[in-house]
Amino acid sequence: MSESNGRDPGLLVLISLAGGPKHGHAILLDVAGFAGLRLGPGTLYGALARLEESGLIESLPMDGRRRPYHLTRGGAAALRGRLTGLDAAVRVGLRRIEVA
Amino acid sequence: MKRLLRLYPSAWRARYEAEVAELLDELPTDRSMLLDLIRGAFSERARAVWRRIPASPIPAGGPPMLEHPLQRHPTSLALLALVLVAPTFLFVFVSLLAYQLRVPGLAAAVEPVVEAFAGMPWVDLFLVGAPFLAFLVAVIPLVGIAWGRASGELHLTISLRARALNVVVLILCVLLSGLLVAYLVTEFMFEAAL
Repeated sequence: MSESNGRDPGLLVLISLAGGPKHGHAILLDVAGFAGLRLGPGTLYGALARLEESGLIESLPMDGRRRPYHLTRGGAAALRGRLTGLDAAVRVGLRRIEVA
Repeated sequence: MKRLLRLYPSAWRARYEAEVAELLDELPTDRSMLLDLIRGAFSERARAVWRRIPASPIPAGGPPMLEHPLQRHPTSLALLALVLVAPTFLFVFVSLLAYQLRVPGLAAAVEPVVEAFAGMPWVDLFLVGAPFLAFLVAVIPLVGIAWGRASGELHLTISLRARALNVVVLILCVLLSGLLVAYLVTEFMFEAAL
């Protein structure tokens, strides 16, 4: 999936964590709720690994057998930038459809 | 399903395996999850290889060599190359003894085998192609390629390493190829003269 795609797993995980720290299962449920998309565990942890490596998210101490993740400041800034770009594209697209 | 996590790179497993195993306990398993885990494993392995390539700057003495998983098993690949080239070697060696050195009785012993394979072009194709294929298999672990960017330029470094068994197999492949080509050229000229 492309970086700018609204169904990009990385973007969906960032949006999910913008609502507060969550562990893997909670992220899956959240993404399914707001995007209607069921991420697989391989896709989810691929995205988590990339986001953690690039410093956009951080892991928190283990909560039982689960490890929660939270958005870093850099992650919040990156998410804001991505969503702003998407929002501008969406608004242009909707305006053009109305004109057509 | 958890066994599929063994497909992932060891560094990834050390960091995420326990978490994903916990997640798998909570999710209903189906075919899409199986495919997702396999695809994820390939993706992580590819990422692990790419991560070894330095971005910049290139350190003094050149960038570190990219070690492909195949390069970690030079002996196994040399043995595989030997197995590939063995039929051709046997064919050439026995032919030399039977038809060039005229070892008594050997030509008569070989004829039924030659007759049995007559009219099978894929056998000829394999005998001729095997040394080239074996050469490639044996040479893969000896070649290291690395690239990276420094001062806006792409730097490509190629290194060769010597492994006795692989080098012996390479020499054998070159000799066999040479003998086969010489044999084919001689036969072609002989037939053309007729």
